[in-house]
Amino acid sequence: MMHTFSRRRFLQLAGMASAASVLPQAFGAAPAARVVVVGGGFGGATVAKYLRMWGGDIEVTLVDPNLSHIACILSNLVVTGALTMDRITLGYNALNVNHGVKMRHGRVIAIDYERGTVSLDNGPREPYDHLVLSPGIDFIPPPEGPWDPNVTPHAWQAGPQTLLLKKQLASMRDRDTFVMTVPKSPYRCPPGPYERACVVADYLKRKKLIFAKVVVLDANPSIQAEPLAFTEAFNFIYKGMIEYVPNATVLAVNSQTRSIQTSAGDWSNVRVLNYIPNQRAAAVGPPDSPDRGWPVLNSQGFVPVNPLTYGVSKYPNVHVIGDACAVPASEGKAVPKSGHMANAEAKVCADAILRSLNGESPDSNITTNSACFSPITSTTASWLSANFNYGDIYDGVGKVKGKGMHRVDLGEAPRTNGDNYQDMFTWAEGLFADSFA
Amino acid sequence: MSLKTISPRFLIPVGLALAASQGAQAAPPAGQVLASQCAQCHGTNGNGPGFDEVAGKSASELQKDLLEMKRRPVEGIMDRQARGYTDAQIKLIADYLAAHSGSNLDK
Repeated sequence: MMHTFSRRRFLQLAGMASAASVLPQAFGAAPAARVVVVGGGFGGATVAKYLRMWGGDIEVTLVDPNLSHIACILSNLVVTGALTMDRITLGYNALNVNHGVKMRHGRVIAIDYERGTVSLDNGPREPYDHLVLSPGIDFIPPPEGPWDPNVTPHAWQAGPQTLLLKKQLASMRDRDTFVMTVPKSPYRCPPGPYERACVVADYLKRKKLIFAKVVVLDANPSIQAEPLAFTEAFNFIYKGMIEYVPNATVLAVNSQTRSIQTSAGDWSNVRVLNYIPNQRAAAVGPPDSPDRGWPVLNSQGFVPVNPLTYGVSKYPNVHVIGDACAVPASEGKAVPKSGHMANAEAKVCADAILRSLNGESPDSNITTNSACFSPITSTTASWLSANFNYGDIYDGVGKVKGKGMHRVDLGEAPRTNGDNYQDMFTWAEGLFADSFA
Repeated sequence: MSLKTISPRFLIPVGLALAASQGAQAAPPAGQVLASQCAQCHGTNGNGPGFDEVAGKSASELQKDLLEMKRRPVEGIMDRQARGYTDAQIKLIADYLAAHSGSNLDK
């Protein structure tokens, strides 16, 4: 089919385009548009892939300091030894080979939103027409320390932290206590902390450490996701082993003595202190820069975005996706922060960028979804499903407060079982491939 | 030379040149973003890896399956997911996937 289109005609057209300043230089020398993506997690990888897949000659550069991404998804199973690190280690090579995404391994040190450039700790600046920021989360230190995550790991960013917690869990003996915290919402992966409590308790049971305890100090008033599955797990499956403490606001953490003070009581000299701190959007500028390098932040430290484009109000060509962004949503029906949701947002964002480059308005017939599986024991799992549709969003008393992503459906597995446990791996395989391959 | 052996890199600039203004390419097909939300679990363009591949099913089959899942009591996760879409969105998704799965021009 293609050979009916002559090379001569092709060059004529390219020439026309050039004259019309569509292509500022001869064909092949300059791309139609440059998009720089910062952060190679699920959001960044997916937006880079889909921009190239849908956008053809768009030049896409993905910036991340690491040579591969270590997924938080399934990482609780690395903590218990059920899986090894290689299972959650996702390389960037396929994005480059299959999709032509350019990789740039460096750390962002500054962004000039006015000029449209990203400065890295190595090599030249990256100029952009559109910028997508998907840097994930930073941790808010406890009110009082001394806190050192290299002594008391959070393991809420997978990697060395995961292995440190694994090692500490393996050191537990009977009658020891594993104390963990659930951060104040919003935080990364709402079911994650409860899932961790379950798989840690399961590990201890299987090791016959039947007098060991898991204490879950929740900064929130109740279980934040899959309440059916986790309430059943805490009250029945792990009865007497998991102690769930709601409304536990952290006041002080001492990593050296593995002690924690909360509004619901103090725990001192525990065997493992898995303090998962409260979270905010990861910094994209030097620590001393205003708002940690962001053009705008909400009171919780996340970046408010347009729900159709993920653009920020001051700079519509700057987009924020994944855990760092705050999507307008109905009261009490927040869009969860998760790898699956970051992938969902990335596709909406990629489409909006391509439409914008084409002079079109964004598609408003959009949904995003979250679907995930949580292990409850070493052989069973539950699942969670949520869908968000673009349209009116509501305040606490049901009054329309604007436009955003309204949660139209939410539910969890009617029961936890072994089929769900197997499905969990199918789900992860699919999500890993759709994002990184 | 078949279409498959031609890199999209060479195809797109033609579209670009033809476009009147800023020009990336033609408007994306209807349902593209909606249907892309299936890919997290069913693979890019519905081609796997993941749960039951959508590739190879006709639009009417896909639409029928999704509407059935939407209306029956919740057992599996898809019974929930299907509830997250209007019937009109389900039709758009089915039409898009039937037309676009089974191929991946980018590879």
